[in-house]
Amino acid sequence: MAVSLTVNGDERSLNIEEDTPLLWVLRDELGLKGTKFGCGAGLCGACTVHLNGQPVRSCSTPIEMAAGGRVTTIEGLREGDRLHALQEAWIEHGVPQCGYCQSGQIMSAAHLLANNPAPSREDIVAAMTGNLCRCGTYSRIIAAVESVAGAESSGRSQGREA
Amino acid sequence: MVMSRRNFLKVSAGASGSLMVSMTLPGCAGIQTGYEPDTGEWRPDAWLELTADDEVFFTLARVEMGQGTYTGLTTLIAEELEIQPERITPRFAPVAPEYRNPLYKLQLTGGSTSVATSWEPLRAAGAEARQMLVMAAARVWNVEATECRASDGRVVHPNGIDSMAYGQLVELAAKEVVRGEIALKPQSEWKYIGKQRGKLDARAKSTGTAVYGIDVDLSDMVYGVVSRSPRRGGRVRDFNADQVRAMTGVLDVFEIERGVAVVADKYWRARKAQDALKIDWDFSDAVSLSTGDVFDSYRAAADDDPGESERSEGSFASAIEESDRVVQAEYAQPYLAHATLEPMNATAWYREDRMEVWAPTQAPDLGRIAAARATDLRPDDITINTTFLGGGFGRRLTQDYIEEAAALAYRVGRPVKVIWSREEDTRHDLYRPAMLHRMKASLSGSELTGWRHQIVGPQILDWYVRNAAPAQYPWAPKFMYDTLGKVGLMAEGIATPKDISAIEGAIEYPYRVSNIDIRHTHTDPGIPITWWRSVGFSHNGFAVETFMDELAHEAGEDPYQFRRRLISHEPRHLEVLERVVRLADWQSPVPEGRARGLALFRSFGTYVAQVVEAGIENGAVRVYRVSCSVDCGQVVNPRIVEDQIEGGILFGLTAALYGEITLQNGEVQQSNFHDYPLMRQYERPEVVVDIVDSSETPTGVGEPGVPPVIPALGNALFALNGKRQRSLPLKADV
Repeated sequence: MAVSLTVNGDERSLNIEEDTPLLWVLRDELGLKGTKFGCGAGLCGACTVHLNGQPVRSCSTPIEMAAGGRVTTIEGLREGDRLHALQEAWIEHGVPQCGYCQSGQIMSAAHLLANNPAPSREDIVAAMTGNLCRCGTYSRIIAAVESVAGAESSGRSQGREA
Repeated sequence: MVMSRRNFLKVSAGASGSLMVSMTLPGCAGIQTGYEPDTGEWRPDAWLELTADDEVFFTLARVEMGQGTYTGLTTLIAEELEIQPERITPRFAPVAPEYRNPLYKLQLTGGSTSVATSWEPLRAAGAEARQMLVMAAARVWNVEATECRASDGRVVHPNGIDSMAYGQLVELAAKEVVRGEIALKPQSEWKYIGKQRGKLDARAKSTGTAVYGIDVDLSDMVYGVVSRSPRRGGRVRDFNADQVRAMTGVLDVFEIERGVAVVADKYWRARKAQDALKIDWDFSDAVSLSTGDVFDSYRAAADDDPGESERSEGSFASAIEESDRVVQAEYAQPYLAHATLEPMNATAWYREDRMEVWAPTQAPDLGRIAAARATDLRPDDITINTTFLGGGFGRRLTQDYIEEAAALAYRVGRPVKVIWSREEDTRHDLYRPAMLHRMKASLSGSELTGWRHQIVGPQILDWYVRNAAPAQYPWAPKFMYDTLGKVGLMAEGIATPKDISAIEGAIEYPYRVSNIDIRHTHTDPGIPITWWRSVGFSHNGFAVETFMDELAHEAGEDPYQFRRRLISHEPRHLEVLERVVRLADWQSPVPEGRARGLALFRSFGTYVAQVVEAGIENGAVRVYRVSCSVDCGQVVNPRIVEDQIEGGILFGLTAALYGEITLQNGEVQQSNFHDYPLMRQYERPEVVVDIVDSSETPTGVGEPGVPPVIPALGNALFALNGKRQRSLPLKADV
């Protein structure tokens, strides 16, 4: 089927079978490799992107469901030369180990903060529980999110959100 | 480590006037590739290259899989080179003898050895390059080299004002000859080692730009998937090739050694075609075991054969005779999958009689052997490009996924990327072996007089040597590969290292007991196994430290006091034990419904003591807090040490709470994260890591956090409800 969608602000059109997961469209058709394949079943969160402002598991989202939609991936989180505040926090806190799950972690955290700029610890844990990390970076993730949430409440801007 | 600098450093002028420092590690002297000045290309054996454009490239011979070599090893070079680590660009090493891990004589990353084996040579390489730059500058300025100093990527004139960037000096520096030994900087002058600093790969990994194996993209690339026998040893009898070949996008469907491959222009099309693939399997030679059969076979073997003696002191038999109490227990541990978040994958391209492979691998030289096996090519015809690894944990020491990509690419003639699904990754893993332990001890009063540990299960080298032995002799003709594997096994301890995978962590039993009898009953049920983050230490640690807890209870002593009394002769064990007891406030009352458990365990040269505080909530085990004291010698990057220890703790807790691969009639029953769960954010306990300040030679940190947390948690549950946890995963309702 012919599909059009907006990815990181750009109009993209392609011809693809309607059941192809959004993940493989992003990775292999549009060359956006920052979104990762982990389980193919929506269980690990490595493939998390924002579709119309909501976090979705792109491995389990057929492209037909994304048709006409607005998609933001890890590559689109930054604004121009400036990284998203969460990305800066991830670097500052040295969150990644192998790093494979971190795009998905950051996308889940970005959605949380876009909707709840001052989340409690419980809010953060709840929002991040769908994202698995095999290396065990969970405590650094919490610290990084809290550092941005703290800065947020004191008025720092945090870049674009889909 | 005592080595003459001249034995392992080579310096040369490279293309376009760059300075290159190469190293030949001890044990590889006979097979170094010499410097060829006319090639003009980047030399694969250069560890360090400084260019006239003021760039510094460092060849990273130990892969980056989350354990921090990218930052840690670069820091070692940077310290002696006198340049900020951030100014250095690491690049992943190609296959070359210089990059072998000196402990294994193979180019592999594992065993928590990267910092320990690089500590001396990398600093020496940095120091030599720095000295040459200083000498070149001194010559330009016509001053004494000893009057000049290097600082932050520049050489500074004795007047303290003038300076030259390294890039300006490299062409001249390459002609300098350093005589005599170069003293390494004293600890007091370190700027980067042991200091809190960021990770060099954090930016790429936080922006989605780090390239993992699965991200490799080549023009004209196609995608391959492989259907493997659901039971090991099954053979393809027939399959509906014509029907599948007619599907949209499918380029080819064919049989390979490991099953049936489908190649298509898009990944999703390959998967859909695979769904339509119907394979008639011949299971006549296939494994038909169920998990219960494995443990039955272990018990039968243990009854039949007391096993080979691995350590014997005093007389255990007399100790039993003279004791007033004998304690016995049997422990069992299941098969465990690795569950790296990046599933197995590899990309291969065969053209003009050569093959190029891109893969997230822990052992690129073994990958080359695997690709050679799957084709008519020789190892020299094959280039391996290593990427970032989305987790390793020992899984990517085995190169089956490269073997598949090579087989497909050899036939297709276009670049082929093979990606495993999560289900395939779980079901066709090579597992941490299931093991059985029979423990027996004698007590006289509260005195522990005898210790017996019978380990029952397979050895990993039996499975691993197939590709490892040929990789040690890459010039050997291919028809020799199987022979080399067999010789490697027969000549264990001579041609290949003695296989201690089953007994590591048991034979080093550290407590002061007069009569010790440690044995291994070698039995292999035929289920594929490999290394797994801390391997033998993970199962022996559980047996040893749980049984120590049982004995403390039998002796009527506090588990801490009992261990303390028996370890007083080992100062580094003792220190982490004392520290963790303070850290966890061991003697203080525990909140209602909770209890604490303790374990003390050394692995990979690193001493770790942990206290777990746990309880049972709504019928499930809940871990609240893990306190950990660790002595890993000199710390290179404190943040990475904390991360690795905490990561190891969560890895161990995942195994303790959930980890279990089971077989039913030869088929693995788990498939994805719903039935092979990993610990999630909401279950994470508070983890406190306390690092001993030490200037001893650094030891590994990637694995030592794993083993003690499993028995410490089991011991906490015993303290909670008096029920002893003797098999894994732990259960709330033993």
